[in-house]
Amino acid sequence: MRAAFFVSLTMGIASCWAVGCGTVDANRDGASRPGRVVILVPPSERPAWQEIARAFAATTHGVDVEIVEGPQSTDLRENLYTASLLARDPSFDLIYLDVTWTPKFAGAGWLLPLDDRVAPEELDSFLPAALDAGRFRGRLYRLPVRTDCGLLYWRRDLLDEAGRPPPETFEDLRATARALQSPPDRWGFVWQGKQYEGLVCDYLEVLRGHGGFWIDPETGSVGLDRPEAIEALQFLRDCVADDPISPAGVTTYQEEESRRIFQDGRAVFLRNWPYAWRLAQADDSPLKGRIGAGPMVRTEKGRRTATLGGWGFGISAFSRHPDEALAFVRFVTSLEGQRLLCRDTGYAPARIEAYRDSALLDANPFLATIARVHRDAVARPTFPGYALASDILQRQLSSALTGSVSPETALRRAAAQTRPLTRGTAR
Amino acid sequence: MSGRERARDQWYLLLPAVLLLGVAVVIPVARVILLSLSRVDLAEGATTFAGLDAYARLWGDSRWWSSWSNTLVFTGCSVAVELVAGVAFALLLHRTFRGRGWVRALVILPWALPTAVMALAWGWIFNDAFGVANDLLQRLGMIGAPVAWLGHPGTAMAALIVADIWKTTPFVTLVVLAGLQSISADVLEAARLDGLSAPQRFRRIVLPLLVPTLLVAVAFRVVQAYGSFDLIYVLTGGGPGGSTETVSLYAFQNVFRYLDFGYGSAVATQAALLLAIAAALAAALAGRKGGRA
Repeated sequence: MRAAFFVSLTMGIASCWAVGCGTVDANRDGASRPGRVVILVPPSERPAWQEIARAFAATTHGVDVEIVEGPQSTDLRENLYTASLLARDPSFDLIYLDVTWTPKFAGAGWLLPLDDRVAPEELDSFLPAALDAGRFRGRLYRLPVRTDCGLLYWRRDLLDEAGRPPPETFEDLRATARALQSPPDRWGFVWQGKQYEGLVCDYLEVLRGHGGFWIDPETGSVGLDRPEAIEALQFLRDCVADDPISPAGVTTYQEEESRRIFQDGRAVFLRNWPYAWRLAQADDSPLKGRIGAGPMVRTEKGRRTATLGGWGFGISAFSRHPDEALAFVRFVTSLEGQRLLCRDTGYAPARIEAYRDSALLDANPFLATIARVHRDAVARPTFPGYALASDILQRQLSSALTGSVSPETALRRAAAQTRPLTRGTAR
Repeated sequence: MSGRERARDQWYLLLPAVLLLGVAVVIPVARVILLSLSRVDLAEGATTFAGLDAYARLWGDSRWWSSWSNTLVFTGCSVAVELVAGVAFALLLHRTFRGRGWVRALVILPWALPTAVMALAWGWIFNDAFGVANDLLQRLGMIGAPVAWLGHPGTAMAALIVADIWKTTPFVTLVVLAGLQSISADVLEAARLDGLSAPQRFRRIVLPLLVPTLLVAVAFRVVQAYGSFDLIYVLTGGGPGGSTETVSLYAFQNVFRYLDFGYGSAVATQAALLLAIAAALAAALAGRKGGRA
């Protein structure tokens, strides 16, 4: 019984806190002291945030920002926030939110609405798609600080050598990959095929490239069992099936596994986020000056688009310093803050004028490409049941990719399971 | 001191343990059961009674059914192999040889490692491009091309079971070793004088005397494997295609990812209940067998 008890115990404790509103005093002495704003970031971002915190402390009086290092994995940080916020814990003043988290966190009442705190004209300077990801039921809960968009990378040197242009269509991609690969030393195309959120991001780009859609934001209808959606999944399945252009292990890869193979010179094409560019262009990279990037390819029915990613801040409903927290967000989203965040890290800013800033463009000319791709970036659906809808899609995509069921069966199942969730989600 | 006073004193002495058990086990479990009968709206801060709705939902939930079969496969396979391997290792370690103390200390090492850490290491071992597993098997000529062990439903489950066996066989070994040491040398000596060969001694004397120890080992391992979470969460996250998602993982996802407390609690309660029934049945069965012998 011990293990079963342990499971129940953990959940029991979490849920006691969740439902026992009022039993835990939100004003008890937490980690944050007066005038101190606490944020939790992944280890890789810590140096950049510390520099920003220092610059912020220099411009304000008495407010400092404490940067707490959390786990690198997005899912683990989400769980950490969830446990903390369920307990109505004031430890974190700002919640560093992924682009898909707003409905869940706002729907649970964990974030302060920002509409009364931020003037509408302050919002004009944000990339519209990034800003929209922070809205839930008509109110704003999250301000974007950096954005991401999915990109298709290619080996320009190999393509030039073979006299082939960068691909425009899925046919081009497949043909070029097949012509230039020599497995197992060099594969055609590596991407993220593990059962996790990244697989949904990859699939959505291929899906829109085929002219399909997942959940229509206007009507709430589900497009997963339409022919375009099945063709899109068939394309990914064909990448790993007979006569493959992707290694069989791609169904276990997340971003880093696929990027390492590409950076080792063992793949012609890679689907990844903008951070891969900076690493591939580093001085010690064998690919320096030998790659190109653009949005995912398409068929004649579809569009070349990117899945929108990115990070932003929401203010915790349990924070004891919401005003100081907002002041910090204003600083980070100012041009100066965006320069500090994006200059050395290669992150893409969330503010439009940052893409025209010569200091940033000189440090990172790739921003011009990101700005271009970003115009066609598409956000993932926003409703409180998103996590479940995403898990349903992940499971079925993964089943089809690993050959357990046909793409058609997988997507018909996914559509049937998704429909009850999206009822009443239309805007 | 009268008998009644002594009985009262005994109750006082038990009180701290009873209180601790109440706070740490009974209240949370009762809370989870209650929660499984409720619907929670976090934004409103309201909890309403939902009756057995969540339990009714379980029956029609294909993901719940598949998490069940995954849990049973994982528990059954890993415990069966661990039991056999554990007994074999224990018999080896029970012999006297030079450096036995060191070997016994080494054997416990996998058990002492944090599961999440060893799961990460196994993740790299099973990696298709850089993994040791593929390299070894290819050198031995057992496979032609690298296999993505965690990338196919069947092999991913097998990989999980291998990692679990590696980690928890030492536990079975230790328990069985303790059992072996409690068997009197006189009995074995007598058997040898009576002309029983080593395999006969093992089958007729050692094994029957080990049964209570084995039952303890199996009970612990079944309970642990049944609620296994960290290994699976780190190694596969339940994939590919949900083929390694266990009941505890599913309960966790419901509570922390979907914020569906009622349903998550129902999954956990139902799992605990079924294990309790299985344990009671096993205990009754063992009791009857023990009585006959």
